[in-house]
Amino acid sequence: MRPGAEQPAPRRGPGRRALAVVTVCALALGPAAPAWAEQTATLTASFQPERLGAPTAVTFGFAIASPDGAVPPPLDAVDIRYPAGLGLATTGLGVASCEAARLERSGAGACPADSRMGSGDALLRFAIGPQVFEEHASLALVAGPSPDGYLHVLIAATGTRPVAARVVMSTLLGEGALQIAVPAVPSLPEGPDVAIVSVRATLGGALTYYERTHGHTVAYRPRGVGLPARCPHGGFPFSASFTFADGSHASARTSVRCPRRR
Amino acid sequence: MPGGGKLSGPGGDERAGALARRALGCALLAGLFGIAPAGGELAQASATLNVYDEGHLHYVRSSGNQLIDEGHASGTVPGTVVVRFTYNGSPTVYADFTIYARAGTISGHANGRLSNPTSASPSSRGALTLSGGGGHYAHAHGSGELFGVFYRRSYAMTVQTRGALAY
Repeated sequence: MRPGAEQPAPRRGPGRRALAVVTVCALALGPAAPAWAEQTATLTASFQPERLGAPTAVTFGFAIASPDGAVPPPLDAVDIRYPAGLGLATTGLGVASCEAARLERSGAGACPADSRMGSGDALLRFAIGPQVFEEHASLALVAGPSPDGYLHVLIAATGTRPVAARVVMSTLLGEGALQIAVPAVPSLPEGPDVAIVSVRATLGGALTYYERTHGHTVAYRPRGVGLPARCPHGGFPFSASFTFADGSHASARTSVRCPRRR
Repeated sequence: MPGGGKLSGPGGDERAGALARRALGCALLAGLFGIAPAGGELAQASATLNVYDEGHLHYVRSSGNQLIDEGHASGTVPGTVVVRFTYNGSPTVYADFTIYARAGTISGHANGRLSNPTSASPSSRGALTLSGGGGHYAHAHGSGELFGVFYRRSYAMTVQTRGALAY
């Protein structure tokens, strides 16, 4: 926001009033213009099923908006905070891993089935001149190799039109936090980078894994994310902070209400 | 006997010397096993065991990032083991455990570093502390190492403990 923009205008004579109008216009059109592009973020989270003490699928979503409807700047990083007791690490998801290069080259289909952790979709935007283009991308969440003892989730975003591209985002799953590093995504040669407008991703859900039992390959459903047996007062809190390529920041928070007792 | 029961006589000096040697021996043993009881606790620690136990545990229940497993432990102190295992995403994992043996219970905690967390059965290795107990092991204390394998398909665990138990 522009400094002083919300201050009440003092009573002044006609000359000073004209000067004030010119100053306000200059502030609006001049160097303060980037402040108009300050973006806001919203965050959503949900569990399916909602049963305390039971495995569940966790869905995160966020949306970025610019006040004037312009294309927001590209994202650099997203830091999602989830309730510390949530069993994202103890889940049975991702019992194999996939190399980022393989995922980027050939997609999630080339990764072991047991490395798939979830899926989702994203809406991307970029402007070429006055025209704004939209691209829908499908997301695949896959367990990556762990060089440091932490869990790494790779997010592959694949779009086909108007730009056919796949990018892989690296995510570090730490204690109560998911840190997503977003690479620059070029739109067209010499065009601006693509901006992420919204994302919806689910960890868990309808996944099929395979194991060898008595010489046979048997399919099974991996255990999802463990919900704590008790719900904190006010629900399960989630928050996210967003860092954009232009150095600006946004944040959002939400909570998942406590499931009803059965 | 010269000096009778007097501690000030030559016989008394011998007895005092023997007591001092015994106390020094106990202190050295305690130091050797990494046990440092304070004052009166030395008198309560009537035995020290080198313990090696192995347990095969099955999943009982969970709450978020905490799993509770139990099963049979065999080895120096056989019995039923209940483990509360916490894994929050950082490489360090935590476990609180209780061994229900015939002569009493032994409680302790451990933390270790998990290796290869995206495999089907990550393993961990770390330090173990025995912090108390009940029955015959009411004054149990000691330290050692804990090795564990966590099976992510079934949430079962295999644990091995190696250490010194004083009680």
